[in-house]
Amino acid sequence: MTTAPAPTVARGLVRAHGIAALVTLLISVSFGLVAAFQLQSPDFGAGTPSLGWGRIRYAHTQGIMLGWLANAFFAFLYHAVPILTGRPVTSERLGIWLCALWNFGVMVPGWVLVLAGVSQPLEWAEFPLMVDVMVALVLVGMGVQFLPGFFRRGVESMYISSWYIIGGLVFTLLSYPMGNVVPEVVAGAAGAAFSGLWIHDAVGLFVTPLALSTMYFVIPASTGRPIFSHFLSMLGFWLLFFLYPLNGTHHYVFSVIPMSAQLTAIITSALLGVSVVLVVTNLLLSLRGAGWLPRDPALRFVSTGIVFYLIVSLQGSVQAQMSLNQRVHFTDWVIAHSHMAMLGFASFAAAGGLIHAWQRMPEARYHAGALSWAYWLMTIGLVLMVADLTLAGLVQGQLWLDGAPWMDSVAASRKYWAARTHIGGLLSGGFILLLAGLTTGPRGGGLSVRPEGGDPVAQSRTHLAPSLAGDHT
Amino acid sequence: MSAPTSTRALRMAYVVACVAGVLFFVTSVGLLGVWPTQMLRDQTTRMAPEVPLRPSVSESRGRLVYAREGCSYCHSQQVRFTAADTRRFGAPTLAWETQFDTPHMLGTRRIGPDLSRAGGTRSLDWQYAHLYAPRDVVRESVMPAYPWLFDGAPDRPTQEARDLVAYLDSLGRAREVAGPEGEARAREGCDCDDDPLMAMAFEGRLNNHPARAIRHGEAPALPIDAAALPRGQALFARHCATCHGPEGQGNGPAASHLRPAPKNLSQHDYSNARLASALWNGVTGAAMPAWRDLSPDDLGALAQAVQALSVTRVEPAPSEALLAQGREVYAANCAQCHGTDGRGDGTAADALPMVPANFTQQQLSLSEAVRVLREGIPGSPMAPWTSRLTSAEILATAHYVRSLYTPSLPGHLRK
Repeated sequence: MTTAPAPTVARGLVRAHGIAALVTLLISVSFGLVAAFQLQSPDFGAGTPSLGWGRIRYAHTQGIMLGWLANAFFAFLYHAVPILTGRPVTSERLGIWLCALWNFGVMVPGWVLVLAGVSQPLEWAEFPLMVDVMVALVLVGMGVQFLPGFFRRGVESMYISSWYIIGGLVFTLLSYPMGNVVPEVVAGAAGAAFSGLWIHDAVGLFVTPLALSTMYFVIPASTGRPIFSHFLSMLGFWLLFFLYPLNGTHHYVFSVIPMSAQLTAIITSALLGVSVVLVVTNLLLSLRGAGWLPRDPALRFVSTGIVFYLIVSLQGSVQAQMSLNQRVHFTDWVIAHSHMAMLGFASFAAAGGLIHAWQRMPEARYHAGALSWAYWLMTIGLVLMVADLTLAGLVQGQLWLDGAPWMDSVAASRKYWAARTHIGGLLSGGFILLLAGLTTGPRGGGLSVRPEGGDPVAQSRTHLAPSLAGDHT
Repeated sequence: MSAPTSTRALRMAYVVACVAGVLFFVTSVGLLGVWPTQMLRDQTTRMAPEVPLRPSVSESRGRLVYAREGCSYCHSQQVRFTAADTRRFGAPTLAWETQFDTPHMLGTRRIGPDLSRAGGTRSLDWQYAHLYAPRDVVRESVMPAYPWLFDGAPDRPTQEARDLVAYLDSLGRAREVAGPEGEARAREGCDCDDDPLMAMAFEGRLNNHPARAIRHGEAPALPIDAAALPRGQALFARHCATCHGPEGQGNGPAASHLRPAPKNLSQHDYSNARLASALWNGVTGAAMPAWRDLSPDDLGALAQAVQALSVTRVEPAPSEALLAQGREVYAANCAQCHGTDGRGDGTAADALPMVPANFTQQQLSLSEAVRVLREGIPGSPMAPWTSRLTSAEILATAHYVRSLYTPSLPGHLRK
């Protein structure tokens, strides 16, 4: 393999998207806290339409997905793509525009509009159509920004992270209209079938590929060793793109949507669990030697995220099965599941990617202690929240099956909801410390964490897939 | 193997893989989106009534309010094809019932109950009072309050609140008005007798909501156990006091906005049978819901708590002459609705939005009887009688209707 040219990382854009990610994270989490608190004190904010629980919930989930996760992944892309492709991104000027458009053309108007009551009641698609247009525009722009380099370099040495980035950007753009536009045109249960596709594609084709891309990128860069198996990584990649989109209807099991579609989704959900075991095995074996609790906070976030990925995927496979679905669907079990996915898996990967990029920028502030505390608060908070809401879900499901009066399930949930608010406070502490870890401390403070793989040239070598013919892993 | 060959083979493999990747995606859209859409359209054509009931303009506007406030994130709009769902809410939601829902609001979470069969389940005044201040009506509710949809009070709803309530009251209506003919057509179009899951759509009652009032429903005899009184009182405080007031005086926080107003239970004696019916079937035409989701034991305990609220007082015994006068006035003015024997089964009764009071199963205190005769019951067909009856006649009638009370009668509330 020839030596790759020293790549130019677009550091300004890494920082811009990184800071935007952390700020939108804290805003989105505040919405989550308000919504959680309102289940304890339902009259909090009563009289202020924009503080209505429904609107706050819209702002919370859209903010987490499009504000925090998307910005964090974009920051990571500005760091990773130049290294993966060996050349700068298409245009830094375009990048400034895209960053501004995403945050001031999507996030700010999106939030303002849903809080003002202009929204659509579609899960993971609550921002109104006019904002959706902007999202699509920026996604096209991101494609222009990041994709050409991959194709110029040639596919034979393309590393798994690159594949996930290409797949993630292309398929997000393709599937985005499915949940955001189609149900506005196709009425009723049929519209729900499309919503189901998007609810799962948002996680499966947008969040998961970019999170996995981050994990596959950070692990070799941090350990200085190539991943366990490029072949397995590619197998997992294709299985993901085959199986994830076919999961959609499992959000509407026992509905009027044709049973054959439901069964397809249920069976595919089970298969997805198998494919995730494969991916996770490869990731964990790639971590071998790094220990269960790596010293590098970026790697620590990533490795913990892998564990959450395994748990949330197996959980998803199981809860799509009819017997369990009958019991836990509509309950807080599902809310626990989505927090495990978006916070446990995706956010840990995103945080890992962000920290990793930060460590490699001499002008970036870095506070190792804050990051270590952020890790613990986020991990403990997430585990507690998932346990709390899963338990609440089981209690709710049991009361509903027993035919108890409806209000019994609400009354029984109160203590779990109260606990969730407190756990949310704990988690918020973690997020604030994450922000602190990347905005306080000495400039270039992360450089010392950088192991041997940190040298951009060496790093770009770890991030090349040997052609499969020569791959002996 | 020479490098160029392997590279070419690899490139080829990747091209194939990329094409396959896009095909996967297209497959998913086809298999889980386009194809089910086609099936659901066919199903709708076969099963929907020939002339579908479209939402009114007001209901459509109400739907937008419902959507923007995120109601569907706590209240699903699909009864699933599961036993637990049909038992609680009624028949599973069919595709044609959602044919005008753009965008759909099937929902994936229930904090409150499913609302796809909400129409006709709650009275409109209940809806307004509940939207304005949910906990004034349902003590343990965690629903957000929507005071900004009102001009300062539940009985002054803005157009948006009217639209929203019109929408809520329309949920499930299309299938209800399609009637037995509609069900038969749907069943035929479904052709699913061999499909046990789909067949669930036609089993049991269309609307099974435990709170839905049933006008002449049967009511099981309630187990009466004196030891259950404290439990009944706790249940009363939890479920009933918001309307009837903590002491049952009809002055709970929701009371002032409900028409007809909640009964002042301290001024009424009710037979077991009357309470069984009111608790099990609710009171049609009033905000009083049914409580079929409580166990018979709980309802029995509740009935005792209600009876214990009655403030028994020694009333002056009416003279025979007074009773005779009352009987005469009653026969001339009251029997049409309340029935010749006071059983609430007069000739006009079935045409009224509420079932007239059955005086054999309930006894008002004398003062309450006089008050009702003088003031009527706003929100019900019971009119004030001061313009047509003298004070003496009103007093005589009050004595007479009280004399009809025979709680020992078996639980026939209707002949």
